[in-house]
Amino acid sequence: MEETVNIHASEKECNTTPAMTHVEANQEGYRWVAITAMLFAIGIILHTVSPNVGGVTPNWTIAMYSIVINLTRPPLKRAIGIGFVAGLTLIPSSKSAFPLGNIASELSGATTCCLLVKAFVACHMGDWRLTPFITGFASTFVSGGVFTFILKLVLGLPLKVWIFAMLPVVAVVGVLNGLITFGLFRPVKKLFYAQEGGEDK
Amino acid sequence: MNSMISVSNFYFNYLRSDLVLKNVNIEIEKGSFTVIIGPSGAGKTTLCKAMTGIVPFYSGGDYAGEIRVLGESTKGKKVSDLAMKVGLMLEDYESQLVSLTAGEEVAFSLLNHGFPPEEAEERTRLALEDVGLPGRESYQLDELSGGQRQRLALASLLAVHPEIIVLDEPVSAMDPDGGESLYKLLDKIHKEHGTTFIVVEHRLEFVLPYMTDLIAVKNGEIAAQGHCEDVVPQIYEDEELRPLLPDLWQVRSNLEKKTMHQFKLWRSADEAVKELQSKGFGRGVRA
Repeated sequence: MEETVNIHASEKECNTTPAMTHVEANQEGYRWVAITAMLFAIGIILHTVSPNVGGVTPNWTIAMYSIVINLTRPPLKRAIGIGFVAGLTLIPSSKSAFPLGNIASELSGATTCCLLVKAFVACHMGDWRLTPFITGFASTFVSGGVFTFILKLVLGLPLKVWIFAMLPVVAVVGVLNGLITFGLFRPVKKLFYAQEGGEDK
Repeated sequence: MNSMISVSNFYFNYLRSDLVLKNVNIEIEKGSFTVIIGPSGAGKTTLCKAMTGIVPFYSGGDYAGEIRVLGESTKGKKVSDLAMKVGLMLEDYESQLVSLTAGEEVAFSLLNHGFPPEEAEERTRLALEDVGLPGRESYQLDELSGGQRQRLALASLLAVHPEIIVLDEPVSAMDPDGGESLYKLLDKIHKEHGTTFIVVEHRLEFVLPYMTDLIAVKNGEIAAQGHCEDVVPQIYEDEELRPLLPDLWQVRSNLEKKTMHQFKLWRSADEAVKELQSKGFGRGVRA
């Protein structure tokens, strides 16, 4: 993907710099697969070993795919695929009454994250420091909301239980996940995209 | 075709960085053994990556100008296709090793480019022989020493028969014996296969006997380039670049300045002693 941009002398140290052509990094190829797989693996391990504190456990898998989506900015179809795989990975360890609900919830979570990231990028806020927090929180909230709503339907619980008992817990986990996504995003980005700008010249 | 790599009016910056390369113009001649020198952060590694298409088409960034490898522009070329013509060994060569055994490692790029397994096997055997690792196809990578793994990375380049090989500080982590041995090997390959070599090197004493051309990079710009005989005086005049010249050449340039005599570009201490004695300098001079 190339575009020619005129870089003004004031922006560059050399005032005889000609018009420069901008090239996006073409290193993705299947690299996103490796990044996704590695973060998923980390997420599954942390999901397995994380203790439950006060009835709340961070959902590491959602945090990991939020990081992946923020990092690789995939097209919607790919994000849906990431959500589907995330749902599959959660089924074996799920202790809920309806483990398959994970697939629907993670599909919603990953889709939300992808659409939000696209919206931030469209508003030129893709590199805003708080983007990972907001997307991490929103995808967890949507995912948790969908999952608990499915549970409400399966168990035949009243709507009030879902709204006043389940959603607040989902919101707390959402904030926790938002913080995890925020905290891990920059170190992971530094690791995977080390050569962008800051490398040994 | 005499020019293997031609860099014309090339400017480059990484995403969100200042200009790393500025108005670079270079011609690499066929069969030359070119050494690139320059202070840390001058842009040597980026220049190597540019000559192999990694910069800017893989790394991303802003660029102007053109780079032609064997007459063809690197624009629009896949890095993997360019690698069949110009091989690159990074300073961190370990990061280029991807397989479990030495044989698989050398055959990796061949098989990925659709070479029949028989030909890949034969080329692997010959490449391992060339780098002094004959019959090690089945060795696990962790059974090889650091130096052997570096030779293996070199064998992986040689197997695809590139016409140009670019090496970024290949002996930076080696002891003097290992460094000498690697450069002897490169010289052997240079002479036997006529491969064009481009090497980034801080310790020029290792390449002294072999180098034909020298490029000095400073602040992203080419400060001097050409045949060693022509550019050494220019580099000596630059106070920042002077310490990068080997002691022998610094002594030579200093003597030329002070005595007004002309000396050959010494490739070894013995050669220097012989010439100095023949011109009546310090009868007691010894190598």
